[in-house]
Amino acid sequence: MAKKTRIKAKLKKDIITVKALANHPMLTYREAKSAKKEVNFITYMTATVNDKVVYEVSTSQFLSKNPYIKFKFKGAQKGDMVVVSWNDLKGTTQTSTGKIK
Amino acid sequence: MNRRNFFSLGLGVVAISMAPSTLSAINFRDTMPKAWTASKVEEGMQEVFGSSTTVNGKVKLKAPDIAENGAVIPLTVSSKLAGSKVAIFQDANPESTVAVFTVPENGIIDYSIRIKMQKTGNVYAVVESDGKLYAASKTVKVTIGGCGG
Repeated sequence: MAKKTRIKAKLKKDIITVKALANHPMLTYREAKSAKKEVNFITYMTATVNDKVVYEVSTSQFLSKNPYIKFKFKGAQKGDMVVVSWNDLKGTTQTSTGKIK
Repeated sequence: MNRRNFFSLGLGVVAISMAPSTLSAINFRDTMPKAWTASKVEEGMQEVFGSSTTVNGKVKLKAPDIAENGAVIPLTVSSKLAGSKVAIFQDANPESTVAVFTVPENGIIDYSIRIKMQKTGNVYAVVESDGKLYAASKTVKVTIGGCGG
């Protein structure tokens, strides 16, 4: 099982900044061919807080290996949990949580 | 497998595919499959936004002038517009679309992401707001390609 996504969320003046580092090889078609591995990359990522979507992105294979994302949003409290989940091309889904500090 | 089993299996698959994966979220991988194979930036924009006419300005795109390692190019897109959709394109890789963000309620357009590029090229950030497209672009010089090329 792959490592969990590392999440850091910080509240400052009503704005929450979330930094997340997903653990994924992100193999493009070309890379996979030369490495003789199957193509696989994250296609879709979301973040929710209190069941509300605060971030969502559909991605292609051109994200770097172990994708790092940073985003900001409003409307959450300290101690709320940020839930980040991603889907990849093979259908794997991973969900990780982090607390807002 | 007898006929009855086969039929119920089919129903189950339909039920799964119809169930919403996340609340209000849209996975553009499913809704816009063409956007991900477009080889030109204009085509990608056309697929994602339905238009490729953009206005320059109001969008900030931060990217390095020279990326020593094409495998890790940090990008930051920010804007004060109340946009609904943000997309990133580039013209160095075989396909142009990199990422499409949906800006949720309470969302702030300030997204950082790391991408890879095969060679020197232009990066485009497009924000959709009130039916208009605002864009910013930047040339990134890549000294070592990052797409296994």
